[in-house]
Order: sequence, then structure tokens, then C-alpha cells
Amino acid sequence: MGTFLASRVMTDIFGGLATGAVVALIALSLVIIWQSTHVLNFAQGAMGMFATFVGMNLVFHGLNYWLCLLLSVVTGMVLGGVTERVLIRPLYGKPEINPIVVMIGFLGVIEAVIASIWTTNITMLPSPFSQIYYQSAGHTILVSPFIFYEVALVAIVVIAIALLFRRTNLGLQMRAAALAPEVSRLLGVRVGRLLTLGWILSTGVGTLAAVVVSTGQVLAPTNMDGIFVSAFIAAAVGGLESPLGAIIAGLAIGLTEQFILDFWSTSIAPLSGVIVLVIGLSLRPQGLFTKHVSRRV
Amino acid sequence: MFRTVSQRYPTGFRLVATVVLCAVALAITFVLTPLDDSKLAGGAAMSIVILGLSWLIGWSGQVSLGNAGFMAIGAYTTAIWANHHTTSPIIWSLFLSTVLGGVSGFVLALPATRLRGPYLAGMTLAFSFAVAPLAIDSRSLTGGSGGLFINFLNSPSWFANLFSGSDALVKANAQWPADVAIVVAAVAFFFMANLFRSRTGRALRLVRDNEVAAELVGVNLQRTRTLAFVISAAYAGLGGSMMTLLSGSVTPQTYGLTLSILLLTLMVLGGIGTLSGAVIGGLIYSYSDNIVSIVNKVTGVNPTSTFGANLKGIVFGVLLILTMMLAPRGLVGLGSYLRRLVRR
Amino acid sequence: MIRVENLSVSYGAVAALRDVTFEAPTGKITTVIGANGAGKTTLLRTISGLVKPRQGSIRLGEFELIGTATEEIARRGVGHVPEGRGVIEELTVEENLRLGALASKVDLAEGIARQFAQFPALESRRRNYAATLSGGERQMLAMARALIARPSVLLLDEPSLGLAPQVTADMMRTISELCASEDLTVILVEQNAKSALRIAHDAVVLHLGRVAAFGTAAEIAADESLRRYYLGVVT
Repeated sequence: MGTFLASRVMTDIFGGLATGAVVALIALSLVIIWQSTHVLNFAQGAMGMFATFVGMNLVFHGLNYWLCLLLSVVTGMVLGGVTERVLIRPLYGKPEINPIVVMIGFLGVIEAVIASIWTTNITMLPSPFSQIYYQSAGHTILVSPFIFYEVALVAIVVIAIALLFRRTNLGLQMRAAALAPEVSRLLGVRVGRLLTLGWILSTGVGTLAAVVVSTGQVLAPTNMDGIFVSAFIAAAVGGLESPLGAIIAGLAIGLTEQFILDFWSTSIAPLSGVIVLVIGLSLRPQGLFTKHVSRRV
Repeated sequence: MFRTVSQRYPTGFRLVATVVLCAVALAITFVLTPLDDSKLAGGAAMSIVILGLSWLIGWSGQVSLGNAGFMAIGAYTTAIWANHHTTSPIIWSLFLSTVLGGVSGFVLALPATRLRGPYLAGMTLAFSFAVAPLAIDSRSLTGGSGGLFINFLNSPSWFANLFSGSDALVKANAQWPADVAIVVAAVAFFFMANLFRSRTGRALRLVRDNEVAAELVGVNLQRTRTLAFVISAAYAGLGGSMMTLLSGSVTPQTYGLTLSILLLTLMVLGGIGTLSGAVIGGLIYSYSDNIVSIVNKVTGVNPTSTFGANLKGIVFGVLLILTMMLAPRGLVGLGSYLRRLVRR
Repeated sequence: MIRVENLSVSYGAVAALRDVTFEAPTGKITTVIGANGAGKTTLLRTISGLVKPRQGSIRLGEFELIGTATEEIARRGVGHVPEGRGVIEELTVEENLRLGALASKVDLAEGIARQFAQFPALESRRRNYAATLSGGERQMLAMARALIARPSVLLLDEPSLGLAPQVTADMMRTISELCASEDLTVILVEQNAKSALRIAHDAVVLHLGRVAAFGTAAEIAADESLRRYYLGVVT
């Protein structure tokens, strides 16, 4: 058993799923924003990192990890809400490149702001759970308590979001506001607030992912860059409209990248995402998990 | 309606206009200091890339964040070619880089042009991220993370002979690259000015504004979009090649996401989809450090502090956001607005 | 009661409504008829705050609706069944109904039960996606979804569109009954002037954005010279 679990393939599966879980979480956060406001938030990773810097830096000043995590998520939520109100709301009804360009500009600003406020700390952000891999019959298995924490956290958040959207009245109103904003307003749904809420929720989830990614790492403004690209690819291949698609694609991309990394080359790994995207979208340009929507004149 | 000169007159006029404007720019380089000349050279090279991006975004509505990647391909092509054929004239480097930029653009265009808006932007973003690690890893070809170095673009003797005095050679060697860059940019702008007015240009606008209508009048969407993408990538390749020739080196770190964002910023600041916007964008690039140091002075930020070091990114990011939200047609749009105001 | 006074709406240079004045009393059906492009839909959309008028006033009782946000107008008791019905296809029948009730103080379970009693055909399909409904069922769902919040005003935009004559007749009868039993102010926009005039108390005839005639439905129906406005035929 130990040999099997420590075999190269199993090792890659564990590693791939652990990365994939975080990729899936960020992809899910992108889908939430996309569904509510039809904006792809290119600054999602950077916004999460900013909130992580605000909250998690206090760990180095002796504050409890969980308190800092809470503080980070709240910061991320506030940032998301303010961003929607200030940067996105004025752009509704404008050509679709306008919000894309604005969010790319915002990405640049946030990364520069982070780098200018916090001088790079070379101490690693301590993990609340051991990152030492388990042993089985003398073999190292690439699973640690930290990885269990990571996967469990992702699972809890995903289930909570699914319940929110599927089972609650608020979730119903959020779905309706995204699907048919005008009809929703005629039914008295305060659509504007729900769109802001969509951003708040999404950046909260994105921040949680950023904290997880940065745990056990050096805090750096660019921590999220690579994983954000993977998450974008997952969201796009999943079809941007489908939360389930984003999660499945996220896990799949984590696995693919891990296998390519291990069996092929380190440098090809970023490119592998592009390849997955190309193949995925060549099969179905609207994403693998969306119903085909015809375009109107 | 305000019409640009190139709209009213045919190709012949555009040729004369290009030659005159190019001559004026060249004359100016004789007056400027060596420092300004080298700044101008960088701006001219950058304006080529901005023009290619402006064509893609302004005319076809496709947002690419991958043009820094195509620049890298041009930049490396030039460095590798120049190192293997030290005596070959630079026109070959420029030509090869343009072609390879275009070819890699074509490869990426195959899937890319099927994608819309955010999908395309994201995919080219992923490409942007992939280029640097790939360049670092292909050590035997690209020199790894240290990059490659080539000989500086020194002035030929006939050019140096135009100058006299003790610093003649310094002046000539600073001005020659600027003049080369200006001529190359002039050729690129002339070609694009014609492209704007061509059938392809019109077809592209139609595809951007109304796909279905474009298909109805017989425009091949896929081919038109691909062409736009390839031309944009070729311009990036040419600009990247020029950058290597000017700096005498190429490093993978230069061509990352930051550069893609900068390109987008310069293009939007100048004015999307216009020739003059690309020139303005190039000039802003030339003097971006001056702009930042002005901001430094006004705000009293210490340029050597961490905040000062990152001020450039903040200033240009904020400028990009503000321009897009308040004056999406950039400085060119502001210019024509003011002109209309004066006329009234 | 809804009172529209001197209402003018324009889309750019095109005037959609010019100086429209009329009153829709409580407990009665006021039908708005006219040819295509007469401004009927624009009128309803302006009442609901989806279109900003150039000038004029729209009062719900004493409350001025102009300048109030669409969602707040809905929360004040104006139910609007839009053109094309606006059923959200990706949601189930029950979810559509719940959505209608959420912005009001109505008890959810009781409200849904009441609508199922009113429209029994919907009950058997409560868990189906609205996309699977027929035209008549969609119209019922759209009405039920508006009524569940117990509005005081009901705006109906072409409820008969695309329905078979028999279904239309049933629908009109239901509207008539509801108006009386719930004491509703109904504004009914219709292309099908004949069926609308049959159940309406008052009628407004719109022609190119102006009120061509305003009177009781019986008077309007009897006036031969008005037919060319709402039937689009020159006699």
C-alpha cells in the first residue's frame, strides 16, 4: 500500500488535486463575478493578494492565524464591493473592452501598491497545520495535514456557495438578477445591491484562495499571478457561466499541469495551460459546460 | 464630421506626408541632445508596437495582452540572428523578426480569433505569462535568464562624418539608432495608414461592430480576424526587434505582463485606433520617466523609497483607468474635442 | 389609482409619447389600445420607471412615481407583466413565484398556495423549468408572479400575444375577475382591441404617441371613426 501511495502517479494525483482545488476555488470566484456583472475580473488575484497582505501580515506581529484570515477575507470583500461601485458600475452598457482594460489597469495598480507598501518579507507565512508529508511503510506520500486543510476549506466554501445559490431566497434573487436584470427589477428585486453583493462574495472567495496559496510561502505581490491564469483557463474551459464546470475544469487543470511538470518539463507547465485552453475552446468555443447560446444581430 | 488628411487623399498623398513627417522627425534628432535622441529612439520603436495593438483593439475589437510575447519573439529573433551573422545588415534582422512575429501570431490566432472579448484577453494573458519561463528554459538558444547581448547599433562612417567637434562620434552614435528607428517607424506607419483605408480595414470595422451583418455582405469573419491578429503580432515582432537593436540586449524579464499592461496604457492614453494616438503613446513612453519624476516632485515622494520605485506602475495604471472611464478616446479624442470647442 | 399627466417621452430625437394625460381608477380595467409604434409599451415602461420621461407626472395615489427607481415602484405595489411575459426560463415555476413574493411582506407558502388556487394548471408543473411551459402557461405564471406580491396596480403588456383565441378569452375573463375580487387598478395594453374593449371599463386610444381618444370602453367601441387608429386600418 505504501509503495502504491508513494508511486509517481499517485504522488502526481495528490499534488495535482491539491493545486487543482485552489485553482477551482479561484475559477469559481471568477464565475460568480461573471454571472453577476459579465465582467471578467483580471484583478481578482491581485485583489486577493492585497487583502492577504493587509490581514496575514499581522501574523508576523503575533496575531492569531485564523483572526488574520478573517480580517483578510473581510478586507477582500470590502475591496470587491468598492471596486464594483466605483470602477465597474459606471461602465455598464459600454463596449465590453472597457471593463477589461480598466480591470487590467487595476491589476497593475494593485501590484504596484502592494510592492510599495510592504517591502518583501523573506519570512514564510507560517501554516496552522503541519506541511510535513505523511509516511507509509517507509515511503513518503505527498499528502500533509496542510493539504487536508486546503482541500477541506475549498470543499466547505464550494458547498456553502452552492447552498447559498440553490437553497436560499437571497441566492434565488442573485441568480434572477444575473439572468434577467430588468424582469427582476420589475419584481422589486434590488438588482444593483445584488451585483455589488456578487462582487463582495467573489472577492471574499478569491481572498480565501490567496491566503491558502500564500500559507507556507513568502508573501509576494505576484503570488497569485500563475494560479490566476490557470483559474482563468479553468473558468473559460468550463464556460464562465457554469460554477460546476469551473470546479471540474479547475481540478483537471491542476492535474494536467502537475503531470506535465513531472513527466515533461518545468518551463512548459505555464504553456500547458494555454494548450488546454486552446483544445478545450476549439471543441466548444462557449465552454464545455454551457448550453450553446446563439448570438443576436 | 472631422476627417483626417489620410481620409481625403489617396496613397500618393500618404507617401508624401510620411516622407515629410519623417524628414521633420529626422531633422529634429539633429537638434536634440544625445540623451533625448536615445529616448526618442525607444519611443519610435514602441510606437510601432502600440500601432499594431491599436489596430487590433481599435479596429477589430479584439483585446490582446499577448503583444509583449510577440515582442519577445522579435527581440530574440534579432539577437540570435545578429549573433550568428554579425555582418548581416540590420534590415534582415528587422525583416526576419517581423515575419516570425507574424507567424507566431498566426499560430496563436488559430484558436484566438474564435474567441471573444474576455476569453481572448485571458488566453493572450496566459501566452504572455508563458513566454518568459520558456525563454529562460531554452538556455542554449536564448541564453537563459541572463539573456543575449549583441553589438550596439553604431553609426556608419558616412553618417559620423556629418558631425564635427570633439564629441562628434558620441553624438553620431546616439543619433544613428534614433534615425533608424524613426525611418522604420515611418515605414510601419505608412503601411498601416493604407491598411486603415483598405478593404480589409473597412471589413474589420464591420466585423467589430456587427458580425452578422459582416457575414451577410460576404466578409469571412475568421480570415479577417486572423489577418488583424497576424499584422498586430508582426508589428510587435518588428518593435521587439528594434528594442533589441537599440538596447544591444534582450532579457526574458523585459517581456512580461507588466509590458503588456504598459502597451495597453500607452495605446489608450494616445487614442485607440488612430495613427496619431500611436505616435503620442510612443512619445509618452520616451518621456515616461520624466512624467514620473514630475509626479515625484509634485507629491514630494522620495524616488528612492519603495513607494517611489513603484510610482511608475501606480501612475500609469491610474492613468489607464481614468482615461478609459472618463475619456475613452484618449488624448487624440481630447484634441479633436478641444478643436471643435475652439471652432464654435 | 394611477394618474398620468402631460407625459412626454422621447428616444433621442424621436418622440414616443407626447403630452399624454389620463386616469386609471381603482377597481377598474383601463385598456390602452393603438397600432404598432403608438407608444403603448413605452407608456407602461415609463410608469414602471424603466424609461425616464422628458416631462410630466405619474401619480400612484398621492405618490409621484417619476424619479423613483423601478424596484421601488414595484415595492410600492405596481405589478408589471412585461412584453413577452418575462418568465425566467432557467428557474422553475415555483422559483419564479418565490421571486415575485420576496420583495413584499407576503407569506411565501400562503402566497404560493393562493396563486396555485387561482391558476391550478401551474401547480402540477411547480418543479418544472419555466422553459418547458406553453404560451398560455407562461402567461399564467407571469400573472401569478406579479399577483403574488398583492399589488394595487397591475400593468399588463399584450397578454394575448401568441395565444390561441380560446386561451385569450379565458385569460381576459380571469383578468376581469381578478380586477373585481382584488380591487386592482389594471392597465391593459392590447393589440387585440376587440377582446380588450370587451372587458375594459375605460379605454385610451394612442396614435403616434398622442391620446387620440379617452372615454369609457363602450363609447370607444361604438365610435366608428376611432377604429382606424387602433385597428391600423383607414376606413
